[in-house]
Amino acid sequence: MAGKVIVITSGKGGVGKTTTTANIGTALAMLGKKVCLIDADIGLRNLDVVMGLENRIVYDLVDVVEGNCRLEQALIRDKRQSNLFLLPAAQTRDKTAVTPFQMKELTERLKEEMDYVLVDSPAGIEQGFKNAIAGADSAVIVTTPEVSAVRDADRVIGLLETEGLKDPVVIINRLRPDMVEKGDMMDINDMIEILAINLLGVVPEDENIVISTNKGEPIVLKNGSTRAGMAFMNIARRINGEELPLMNLEKETLLNKLKRIVGLT
Amino acid sequence: MEAISFRVTSKGVYLNLNPESDYSNIKNALIKHTAEANNFFTGVDLYVNPNGRILSAEEIEELIEILSRYKNIGQLYFLSQETKNRPRTMDTILINRTIRSGQRIKYPANIVVIGDINPGAEVIAGGDVLVIGKLRGVVHAGATGSNESQVIALSLQPTQLRIGNYISRSPDDKNTGEPTVPERAYVKDGMIIVEALKLW
Repeated sequence: MAGKVIVITSGKGGVGKTTTTANIGTALAMLGKKVCLIDADIGLRNLDVVMGLENRIVYDLVDVVEGNCRLEQALIRDKRQSNLFLLPAAQTRDKTAVTPFQMKELTERLKEEMDYVLVDSPAGIEQGFKNAIAGADSAVIVTTPEVSAVRDADRVIGLLETEGLKDPVVIINRLRPDMVEKGDMMDINDMIEILAINLLGVVPEDENIVISTNKGEPIVLKNGSTRAGMAFMNIARRINGEELPLMNLEKETLLNKLKRIVGLT
Repeated sequence: MEAISFRVTSKGVYLNLNPESDYSNIKNALIKHTAEANNFFTGVDLYVNPNGRILSAEEIEELIEILSRYKNIGQLYFLSQETKNRPRTMDTILINRTIRSGQRIKYPANIVVIGDINPGAEVIAGGDVLVIGKLRGVVHAGATGSNESQVIALSLQPTQLRIGNYISRSPDDKNTGEPTVPERAYVKDGMIIVEALKLW
């Protein structure tokens, strides 16, 4: 089985790479795929916390690379999905503990076992970023509707091109439709026009994300009940090859809601 | 390599002095050439390119005396170092993609970009810059000091625009809107002027 290695990156920090990785990974597993998440943010690991798996870590990515354990020993099976695995980052080391060559070897091995390998990249464009993209077949850029985030995304797309990772796709995270409507926030078209790459999905700002992240339960697990969860599930289905239209992000008016409930629309 | 060499251009004949050679070798080679090929430059302008060599006043006088031995030679010019660096108008690089933040294109002559120049990108040309797309980054035309260079873009909204020794930046209020027509920027009376592109 030859799976696909997808790196999730952004350049700028705090745009939601880790949350996105956790949710897309969980969603793909819910769709029945065998998925492995790699936390490439050595020294500042977070993915295990967001996944609620922190207390199960025995070995980590650096242990595997240095030969302190076998790859299978370091993989943590998710507590909800049996076909979802996490390879955590080391917390006590730094980015230089691994080389891009070693990362490539590692992802090659994982991809034989998995349908999807998602690599959560650290912020920045230094060694940690280079490690994260080393073994990737394709890239997903996460950005928020801020000029600085879009600028960094553009920079990263350029770097990916030079590394031979063609045609990355973008997820616009934390969009607030009400602010866009008032003209206070960049809208989707503005961003796509600058970045000139395909849009994989839009995730609206949702306070449920904060709750679910702190609890260590990816929001897609409550599929349908939150807008962000729905958006992430749609993104996962698109990665899996389905063609889905973009979610309607406008706030539902009371009248429309009523109509929907009575079955008028 | 020979002490002297000739190159024919549309303007006239260039006489290149080899920077590696001693002055005495150059002098002897010229004396020899003026004697052997005395009729070569009848009515032709001759441009002497010292190729970075600094000639003393006596040496220049001496060279003029020797070169005047050519029969019926046209005008005689000595090229300065700057002239040597000026790009030939035929030298143009074509870049067929979008230039993204952090990317930098530098070329000694003209640059044509088919695609956008995004904010955070830099394009530096010795000559003109032509953008078939949106120019939103930083562009420097005539970077070797040529104020006659120009910048043309389908949508000209640069972060900063430099032509030769002049710099201008975008207005601080961002409400000026997107330009609707292709525009051209050039230097006039010590200022960078932007106007709608007229091709006739």
